[in-house]
Amino acid sequence: MRAVPAAAVILIAVAATSASSASASRSTVVAVGSIRGRVEARRPPAAAATRRPTVAALGAPTEAARIDRTRSVVYLESAPRGAFEQVDPGRAVMDQRNETFVPHVLAVTAGTIVDFPNSDRIYHNVFSLSKGARFDLGRYEAGHSKSVRFDRPGVVRVFCEIHSHMNAFILVFGHPFFAMTDADGRYRIDNVPPGTYNVVAWNEGDSSDPRQVTVPDGGATEIDFTVR
Amino acid sequence: MHTPARRHVCIVFLAALLALRGADAAAQMLPSEPLTFGTGWLTLGADVSATASCASVEGNTSRCTTDTGFFNYTDYQHSALRMLIAGLTTEVKAGERVSVLAEIRSENGGVPNPYALYVRVRPWPTRGFDIQAGRVPPTFGAFARRYYPYDNLLIGYPLAYQYLTSIRPDALPANADELLRMRGRGWLSNFSVGNPNADNGLPLVHAFRWDTGIQVHAGNPRTEATVAVTTGTLANPLVGDDNGGRQIAGRVVFRPIAGLITGASAARGPFVTTDALRVGGVEGNASDYTQTAWGADAEYSRGYYLVRFEAIVSDWRLPLLNTPAIDMPLRAVSTSIEGRYKIRPGLYMAARSDHLTFSQVTGALRHDGWDAPVTRLELGGGYSLQRNVMLKAAYQHNTRQTARAAAADAAALQLVYWF
Repeated sequence: MRAVPAAAVILIAVAATSASSASASRSTVVAVGSIRGRVEARRPPAAAATRRPTVAALGAPTEAARIDRTRSVVYLESAPRGAFEQVDPGRAVMDQRNETFVPHVLAVTAGTIVDFPNSDRIYHNVFSLSKGARFDLGRYEAGHSKSVRFDRPGVVRVFCEIHSHMNAFILVFGHPFFAMTDADGRYRIDNVPPGTYNVVAWNEGDSSDPRQVTVPDGGATEIDFTVR
Repeated sequence: MHTPARRHVCIVFLAALLALRGADAAAQMLPSEPLTFGTGWLTLGADVSATASCASVEGNTSRCTTDTGFFNYTDYQHSALRMLIAGLTTEVKAGERVSVLAEIRSENGGVPNPYALYVRVRPWPTRGFDIQAGRVPPTFGAFARRYYPYDNLLIGYPLAYQYLTSIRPDALPANADELLRMRGRGWLSNFSVGNPNADNGLPLVHAFRWDTGIQVHAGNPRTEATVAVTTGTLANPLVGDDNGGRQIAGRVVFRPIAGLITGASAARGPFVTTDALRVGGVEGNASDYTQTAWGADAEYSRGYYLVRFEAIVSDWRLPLLNTPAIDMPLRAVSTSIEGRYKIRPGLYMAARSDHLTFSQVTGALRHDGWDAPVTRLELGGGYSLQRNVMLKAAYQHNTRQTARAAAADAAALQLVYWF
């Protein structure tokens, strides 16, 4: 297991790598496969965001909504040749609700525009100082939304300038071979061309060691991970 | 004085340079979020700030010296523009109703002092009602609870919360002439009645020392109200009582629309120590000699703008000892306006304009303000190297209506880290 600094860009867009994937791409008819499994994230299932001790406050702050920290992202560390041409950026939403970013983790392809609506009655100020996406949306009230286009692959840490306990992750990939885990920790990456790949599971800034898997022609490979 | 001053400046500039170069690596080694233990029953936060400055004071030939005009001193030894502060905050939760909060700070490597230590009780966890007892946060005003370097837009502080007037609780001017002689000398004031030793005077509201007592707070997202009964006064917060009296302070906050926060505060408490009254042969009790203050503040923010305004009026009533008698009350009025604009992600510029005036007293030969009016203009900005590592720079211009050290300019640099 390796710790990944929050601000570091960890996802390097790598063009076609292994011989197997290269040969696969030369085939005229290739049945794609899938990678599936389960990620065990050894964290409390849900917790309120950690605040700095509110020593200077005249009273206790309202309890923020609980964050599900068990959601992980599984991705191919290297992608098949041509994967970067398959990227189909769309639109995604990261809401601000009960002084919490919802979802807490968002995985998108490069070029995706993410909307940040404010669903609270108070101001929020979304910003990031991550290398991949340095932005500050300023303060805006409920019912308003601002958006950011994420072009560079990497991990983007998102914060609120007013509420320091609010934080979220946006993982931006240069290829489409990634998946978020569901509530049970299960994931499934589809449409993977046959070949051998390094697969990594990520959770809250920590990554598993890359594990090598071979995706058979038209078949599925199962691999489980444990992240701290 | 000059050589250590320059060395001090060089060290902080070097540290800032190193921070700029190695910010990524260094910041990734340090915690970026508060530390929690157990199931969250213990939370730790910390902040460290290093501030260096170079001052040019009227009447002093050096172009880079310490603040010999004492415009930025928080007491006789410490300048707010040359300070290394390390602070640790903790919260220990004992269930959902009770927690103990503490803040320990060390200045310039000195012995850590407890700035705050109190118990917070929330009898009904789902309601915004709290009782805090111990060394509690200031009830009065807006700035006193955001004096932390990471909250302060600039490096200096508003005059009302930092500038030392000549007034002292333990030493009393015998007459108006004695009071007028101390105009502009709040950094080392002495009077003939009470404590004979020279010591620093006090600001209108002390932001660097918290009072001891009990505080009740109730609120909802639109309105808040707080009342506190404490041992000291706004200018002189205390742990142990020195005059047998109690201060009552209150504050209300109203948020009519998103982005607008308005507040009003008031406080009144016995100011003069029992010892000073005894030495002065004053009849009556300490509750007759008070500090009474009123405050109004407002904040509006939208997009990349933030504007704040705060006005404070403070009246002190001291015993009339000899003639020419001092015209009571001794009034000080402070107005402060500050603003911030974010230029780009992580980079902002800010400015603050401050003015402090004093009521007139009449001595044998002159009629003048009991202390010298002061004006301060500070321009600066901050750049976030990381979310919790910030480098701030500021330029400050001070003027004071006195013959000695009537003006001072200072350039300051501050590096702040917190989690």
